[in-house]
Amino acid sequence: MPEVSKLRKPDVKIVLLGDMNVGKTSLLHRYTERRFKDTVSTVGGAFFLKQWGPYNISIWDTAGREQFHGLGSMYCRGAAAVILTYDVTNWQSLAELEERFLSLTDTANHDCIYAVVGNKADLTDPKAQVHQDSDSVSEEGPRTESQVLSACPTPPASPVSLSGLMLHKQVTHEDAVALYGRLLRYKGLDEKASLPADKMCFETSAKTGYNVDTLFETLFDLVLPSILRKRNENKESPTVDLEDCRGTGKKTRSSCC
Amino acid sequence: MSVKAFELVPAVERDLLMGDKARINIECIECCGKHLYVGTNDCFIHHFLLDEVTSAKGKLSYSAQKLLHKYLGLKKPVAELRAASALERLIVLCDGVVFLVDMVTLETVPSAAGGGAKIRGVIAFCINENPVNGDPFCVEMGVLSSKRRTVQIFMVYEDRVQLVKEVSTPEQPCAVSLDGYFLCLALATQYMILNYNTGAHQDLFPYNSEERRPIVKRIGREEFLLAAPGGLGMFANAEGVSQRAPVNWSESVIGAAVCFPYVVALDESFITIHSMLDQQLKQTLSFRDGHILQDFEGKVILASTKAVYVLVPLPLERQIQDLLVSHRVEEALILTEGAQRNIPKEKFQILHKRILQQAGFIQFGQLQFLEAKEHFRKGQLDVRELISLYPLLLPASSSFTRCHPPLHEFADLNHLAQGDQEKVLRCKKFLISYLGEVRSTEVANGCREDVDTALLKLYAEQDHDSLLDLLATDNSCLLADSVPWLEKYHKYFALGLLYHYNGQDSSALQLWIRVADGDLQDSTRSDLYEYIVDFLSSCSNLDLVWKYADWALRKDPTIGVCIFTKRPATKELPELNPDDVIGYLGKHKQALLLYLEHLVLDRQIQKETFHTHLAVLYVERVLSLLSESPTDDEQLTKARERLQAMLRESNLYRVQYLLGKMENCEHLLLERATLHGKLEENEKALHILVHKLRDFPSAEAFCIWASSRRDSAYRQQLFHLLLGVYLDGSLPGQSQIAAGGGSGELEMAAVDLLNRHGEVFDAVRVLRMLPEGWSLQLLRPFLGRAVRASMHACRTSQIALGLAHSENLQLLHDRLKERKKPVVVSAKKGCHLCHNTFSEPDVVCLPGGVPVHTHCVAQRVRDSPTKRQLTNRSNHT
Ligand SMILES: Nc1nc2c(ncn2[C@@H]2O[C@H](COP(=O)(O)OP(=O)(O)OP(=O)(O)O)[C@@H](O)[C@H]2O)c(=O)[nH]1
Ligand SMILES: [Mg+2]
Repeated sequence: MPEVSKLRKPDVKIVLLGDMNVGKTSLLHRYTERRFKDTVSTVGGAFFLKQWGPYNISIWDTAGREQFHGLGSMYCRGAAAVILTYDVTNWQSLAELEERFLSLTDTANHDCIYAVVGNKADLTDPKAQVHQDSDSVSEEGPRTESQVLSACPTPPASPVSLSGLMLHKQVTHEDAVALYGRLLRYKGLDEKASLPADKMCFETSAKTGYNVDTLFETLFDLVLPSILRKRNENKESPTVDLEDCRGTGKKTRSSCC
Repeated sequence: MSVKAFELVPAVERDLLMGDKARINIECIECCGKHLYVGTNDCFIHHFLLDEVTSAKGKLSYSAQKLLHKYLGLKKPVAELRAASALERLIVLCDGVVFLVDMVTLETVPSAAGGGAKIRGVIAFCINENPVNGDPFCVEMGVLSSKRRTVQIFMVYEDRVQLVKEVSTPEQPCAVSLDGYFLCLALATQYMILNYNTGAHQDLFPYNSEERRPIVKRIGREEFLLAAPGGLGMFANAEGVSQRAPVNWSESVIGAAVCFPYVVALDESFITIHSMLDQQLKQTLSFRDGHILQDFEGKVILASTKAVYVLVPLPLERQIQDLLVSHRVEEALILTEGAQRNIPKEKFQILHKRILQQAGFIQFGQLQFLEAKEHFRKGQLDVRELISLYPLLLPASSSFTRCHPPLHEFADLNHLAQGDQEKVLRCKKFLISYLGEVRSTEVANGCREDVDTALLKLYAEQDHDSLLDLLATDNSCLLADSVPWLEKYHKYFALGLLYHYNGQDSSALQLWIRVADGDLQDSTRSDLYEYIVDFLSSCSNLDLVWKYADWALRKDPTIGVCIFTKRPATKELPELNPDDVIGYLGKHKQALLLYLEHLVLDRQIQKETFHTHLAVLYVERVLSLLSESPTDDEQLTKARERLQAMLRESNLYRVQYLLGKMENCEHLLLERATLHGKLEENEKALHILVHKLRDFPSAEAFCIWASSRRDSAYRQQLFHLLLGVYLDGSLPGQSQIAAGGGSGELEMAAVDLLNRHGEVFDAVRVLRMLPEGWSLQLLRPFLGRAVRASMHACRTSQIALGLAHSENLQLLHDRLKERKKPVVVSAKKGCHLCHNTFSEPDVVCLPGGVPVHTHCVAQRVRDSPTKRQLTNRSNHT
């Protein structure tokens, strides 16, 4: 019951940013519910609490619509990781990241980690079309070749079928890597001291699940030091942490399930 | 997805407030306990006493009693009213001026000497409900002034106000809320958090306050609710972080408040209620001319321009029940769990458990068994609630009654399934697995009997394999309830097990016997008869053994006898006296024989009566087979072999008695010979064998057998005896004794005997006995062997003699050597053999000059198995 877990207090925050319709909500769904379902354009924002080992990670899904743009900075405040999402079939969505969304991340943590994610890879890339997992919840361990082959292909309702034509890929991996480089420069970070672009630029498909787990789990692992640092700070801090006195309970409270 | 979370209840109706004066509008309200103050656009304050009235049906209503109204004399609308109850003051904003009035008299409080009680140029103010300064006799107030871009912090006392702080803002503020040191401000183009103590500020998000009225609502410690672009209700804490997902209001929200777990908002025509737990819109109430929505000490009060209402939350439990009624299990649980911090712990736990149980039953009704089970487990459901759904499963004696109010809407399983047998079956399968899981856990504490009995009934009804496992292991099945049920489903074998478990072995046996006899039908065990035998063999109640063994023996003596022969020899079981058993088996000959065989052959009991009895039975059997005609040769051979083996191998039976038994039987000559052998009447035995039976191989075998545990001299004697019998019989003149056989036959037997067993005979004696006329050729093998044997003996003894001689010489040599040395004997040195001292000078010297007592050596020579003649070598000194 993910809803109940919302009562728990998160240790760290990850924020999904990006233009409307790039598939932020779909990515989060795919990861948390292991399926691809119909979405409506997000209003305001929503979040999901993920238990990762002993930690609670909150993943915020923001609204890409212009109307809610102003809320972005607030969502990013204190973020340990930001996922900048674009749509590989839409050049403008990548441009928007730089023009509109990059500045929202000013409020994120100083050591915030950035990932540049090109979604809807299934529309341009045959290897992203194979379903990564079945719609059933249980799937563990490495997938065997036969499972991949026997997985059913994209239903014909989609604009693309396996044999059919591919949409034009408007944004290449190199474009994303370049953006990542500019992002580091914008942040005043040394490219050599930062996480390499290869590692932080992903192409995903919320529809097939391609690379989705990899994306989130790479980030979870990368934000762990941030969690530990935050915990230490709280311990050392001489001031009373009012957050901790709230009715929602102590940070250390473990969840019941 | 609607819930009925609130009800709108009128508090002050139009009539009471303004009568028929149409132009009068409500501008602001304040509520403090039962006291309701209303400020109007004609500069009046009205004071009401608001009483809650609960009708007999539990319906809540309000009765308002007007206490006072007062004109403030400014001709302008009363913009805001705030009570400072500790000071008994109302803080009033009217015509841009903040001043104090007495809460009771509504008189304006005059300025005290040395300090004003008025603040001018105010556009809005707020009270700090969580001041850092804890002085109870003053109130902290944040004030927005119309002229400057500042926020001023005042302390309000009974009769004066005092400016304590002033902070500037980047833009003109238009709405303010205060918590601790934190000001939450709506500026012209954005919201921000400002710490008035440090001056630090944090931008929240942009908002055009000119376009839409901002909302800045403190909802808890350091947390605010703000109207955001796109009609959102955004949460922000003092750090400028949003910790809850926003709720989706309309664009024109006028006021909002939190009444946990709901966010209540008012727009021009509706009250909307969102859950903070899942951000969903839960309820919409239409409300015309909505004007004010504010919460006072947890009570949400609304006003239109003409009347006042209270938004009364329905009891949480009711809301949860409503959700459950519409089968919205998840939501009900979220609501319950979300309410955890608002409800005392104990009460919460009770509520939570109950909701979990109800949720479980809803899912159960939808056949979502996995989920149901999880909720039953978490809710610590009394399993009997579940069992009681299945008709007749609970034992009649169970004290259980369903909890009230009921946990579900089902009368019973049939009601639930609406006649769908497939459903019923699935429910039963579920209960089987569920009870199976919980029966050995603490869930079943206090109701094990009910659980096990129910399980037994289900197993029986569903023909489930585990029925027997249940009954064969520890269980609490109630006998009285289970008997008719097991009978109904023809589970007689199982019923027997249950009887047995309850110590009623007699009933168990009676039942099983009826099944084994075919009076009752139960195919559980095809080997039920064997099972009963086995059961009796380890039955501790001997009376039952005696009672039912007869039945078992009559059915099949060879299997039935296992009752006695397979009885385990353990301390727990009372032993059966073999004599009693033998007595009991008297009329079951075959079983008796098997039992005696068991005693004599398997258990090797050395008791004369058993051996004799067994031998007699063997004899009788052989005799009876002999008396049959035609005789069954195969059987007879077998029976005789057994008898013969018995006669040969046992030494305990009474030989004479048995001899008497077969004295007149010419068929059992071989057996009689054996018996004579037992009596060492070898001549008689051989006579029978040679002359009556003419069975020479048997005669030979007899000699070997009869001498098998004797020395070679005895054997020689026997063989000579046999030879004698052969030769005597072959003498002319005596051969007429032999029945039909010629003397040549005996002669041949004698020759064969000699040639075969030559080594046993004393050849010299044999040669003397043999008739003169026998040819050498005939006896050649015998003689050859005899000569060789005698040569061999001669040579062997010569070698022995030679060896002894050389040994003797060697010792003589030793003795001569020893003689040269003295052999010291002293009273202090002990004898090497007995370790006693010497008292006499006479000693024997062992090789090596060791002195020992004479008698010790004598003793040793006597005991020694070898015939070494030590004394020969003795040496007296
Ligand atoms: N083919 C394909 N379609 C996708 C994928 N991800 C999302 N979509 C579709 O893209 C549309 C938008 O998806 P959303 O997840 O709602 O996009 P969003 O980024 O959350 O949009 P906002 O909430 O408005 O910011 C939907 O119609 C999805 O079905 C993908 O990986 N492949
Ligand atoms: Mg979305």
